[in-house]
Amino acid sequence: MADMHIDHKVLSDLREIMEDGYLQLVQTFLDDSERRLGQLHAARSAVELGAAAHSFKGSSSNMGAVALATLCQELEDKARHPPLLGIEDLINRIDLEFAEVQRFYRAEHHRISAG
Amino acid sequence: MAVETDVSQDGKKLTIKIKGRFDFGKHQAFREAYERQPRRPDAVIVDLQEVTYLDSSALGMLLLLRDHAGGDEADVRVVHANCDVRKILAISNFDKLFDIS
Amino acid sequence: MADELGLTVLVAEDGAVDRLLLAQIVRRQGHEVFTAENGQQAVDVFKARRPELVLLDALMPVMDGFEAARQIKALAGETLVPIIFLTALNEEQALVRCLEAGGDDFLAKPYSAVILAAKIRAMDRLRRLQATVLDQRDQIARHHHHLLNEQRVAKAVFDKVTHSGCLDAPNIRFLQSPYALFNGDLMLAALTPSGDMRVLLGDFTGHGLPAAVGAMPLAEVFYGMTAKGYGMAQVLREMNAKLKRILPGDMFCCALLVNLSMQRGAVEVWNGGMPDGFLLSTGGKVLSALSSRHLPLGVLVAEQFDDQTEVWPLAPGERLLLMSDGVLETADDQERLFGEQRLRAVLADNRNPALLFDELLDALQRFGGRARDDVSLCDIRMLGAQLPQPMAMLPQDLGRCSAMDWSLSFDVRGESLRRFNPVPYLVQLLQEIHGLRSSAGTLYSVLSELYSNALEHGVLGLDSRLKCDAPGFADYYQERARRLQVIEEGYVRINLAVEPLAAGGRLKVEVRDSGEGFDVQQVLAQPLPEQGLSGRGMALVRRLSTVARWTEGGRCAHVEFIW
Repeated sequence: MADMHIDHKVLSDLREIMEDGYLQLVQTFLDDSERRLGQLHAARSAVELGAAAHSFKGSSSNMGAVALATLCQELEDKARHPPLLGIEDLINRIDLEFAEVQRFYRAEHHRISAG
Repeated sequence: MAVETDVSQDGKKLTIKIKGRFDFGKHQAFREAYERQPRRPDAVIVDLQEVTYLDSSALGMLLLLRDHAGGDEADVRVVHANCDVRKILAISNFDKLFDIS
Repeated sequence: MADELGLTVLVAEDGAVDRLLLAQIVRRQGHEVFTAENGQQAVDVFKARRPELVLLDALMPVMDGFEAARQIKALAGETLVPIIFLTALNEEQALVRCLEAGGDDFLAKPYSAVILAAKIRAMDRLRRLQATVLDQRDQIARHHHHLLNEQRVAKAVFDKVTHSGCLDAPNIRFLQSPYALFNGDLMLAALTPSGDMRVLLGDFTGHGLPAAVGAMPLAEVFYGMTAKGYGMAQVLREMNAKLKRILPGDMFCCALLVNLSMQRGAVEVWNGGMPDGFLLSTGGKVLSALSSRHLPLGVLVAEQFDDQTEVWPLAPGERLLLMSDGVLETADDQERLFGEQRLRAVLADNRNPALLFDELLDALQRFGGRARDDVSLCDIRMLGAQLPQPMAMLPQDLGRCSAMDWSLSFDVRGESLRRFNPVPYLVQLLQEIHGLRSSAGTLYSVLSELYSNALEHGVLGLDSRLKCDAPGFADYYQERARRLQVIEEGYVRINLAVEPLAAGGRLKVEVRDSGEGFDVQQVLAQPLPEQGLSGRGMALVRRLSTVARWTEGGRCAHVEFIW
């Protein structure tokens, strides 16, 4: 199981709260987060970068992707204090972490829709 | 408490002490002070030592107290009134109805 | 765990995931949810649906949360629509902006359903509290409006009752607060049939309608009895009895009643609970203070009521200054009171009596920092003796035709002399005669004069020469009161006889007393001024009647009127 990547308490709360809407939530997250990651990569200024990181952080933490959220927080903080040192590296780590989270939630989506 | 009551051991003397402004705001409390006694006391003492101000509604309240305590037969004393308060009582000639000191 | 509060809630959050999640959390707690993706949509949805609570993301596109919050608060107006900002806790700058924009609380991500529920419950309590306050405010405003209306009606009725007075006489100057009636302040003035001027300054306990309600029956008594010529003592007794009967135990009326008799050159005073009135010389010097000696009206039962008055001489040009306690109690911004010393100073500094009124008002205004609207003042100038005017008495129940041939004998004996004055009743009776109606004032003056002579000089044996100066005046009236108090024997007899003449009729009046009599010729021989003030008013009687003579050694006065 993806312990380091997903907070299972949050996960089980989500399942309980969303009830039948859980599937839609997962789908929305998958679509939304891909888009956000794209925004992150496309950011052309520190301000844009900070804003994208901020939004991504929000939805990640709500979905229990705590490690991802933490990384986004780091990126948000760094974006506020130029010069932007080590940004490339941080963005890479975000990509990697997101891949894990994405894998998990796709599996969730599959599990639920399969019945 | 703005209106304090004290009853003597034998229940015959009721002292009502008023603090601050003796005006319409004290109406309820003052009434309760003498109406709530289980026995009618022989004498009622109204202590005005800490009264800063007294108006005509206070005079009215004293009249009601006097009626309740037996009217002409009542023994109601008003004590420790300061200069200003005594002047107000004097103009209305309330010393003809109450023992004022 | 979900409370059934059942609110309508707006969730404005640009992140799709967060919006979905939050909406669901709120829905599960029993509320109806509307969503918006950006600030502008939030405002639009608010306008359309008017939700009771708003959850607002701080950073949104198109219009950010702060601006949306400002607009929503503006749209909500007086109603409290709580706004909970959705934001991360480590952005303190943002938190400050949230508060400034009108936010009431914050919720951090990740969203906790428990915390959100607690916040919603707390915000709802606030919301309902505000609604209650507004509702109560509106209720109070409505009641206040009704109350004002009732007072308007009361004032209109009261004004009708008081219109018969003579406050607009040329020798009276007065100031009455527009709120007088509702401060409990009363000022009435009326003429007796013989031309005496009677003025009442009153101050009821309480304010508003309770004070006004007591004033009306009092005014009726005052005007009714004064017009019929009743003496001060009788009017006071009746006013006291009436108030004692109708007012609750803690209500009473401080009163200062004065009767100026131009004929006698005297003023009779009764003061129960009002501040000092002042007698002023023609030059404005204080001659004496008219202090409160009695309990206010409406306190004592009839048996204990003290109707004892004081009598002071007052020459033409001398004045009375009367005032309510609003004068002495005028306060400055440090809550010090104007007080008696400052008043005395104004009186002492005054050089021109005609300006005293204005000087006093001016002093009050300078002291209190503003124009006074709660003060009642009255300045009455004593006039010289005048012939009574033909007076319109109060409308009577007119009989079918007047009796033209009758006689009546009326004895007042012993102890009855103390309290009972038959003159008003007899004058009432004489009103039955059409031809005499227009001379009511004259009849009253003559009968009063004869009766008071018979009582004071005849039965009580008082020497009018005592009344030569101020101390003498006081002594005379004190002695009068004392002798009346102990009287046991003696009488005054009044005979009235009416007979028709060819065109009209004749009224014969005889007033007899049990006294020693006096030297009629000697008194008549004196020059007029001496006769006027300290004599037996015989010159007046002779002037007013068709025939006047004294017989039986002065013990019997005969007077005739022909019409």
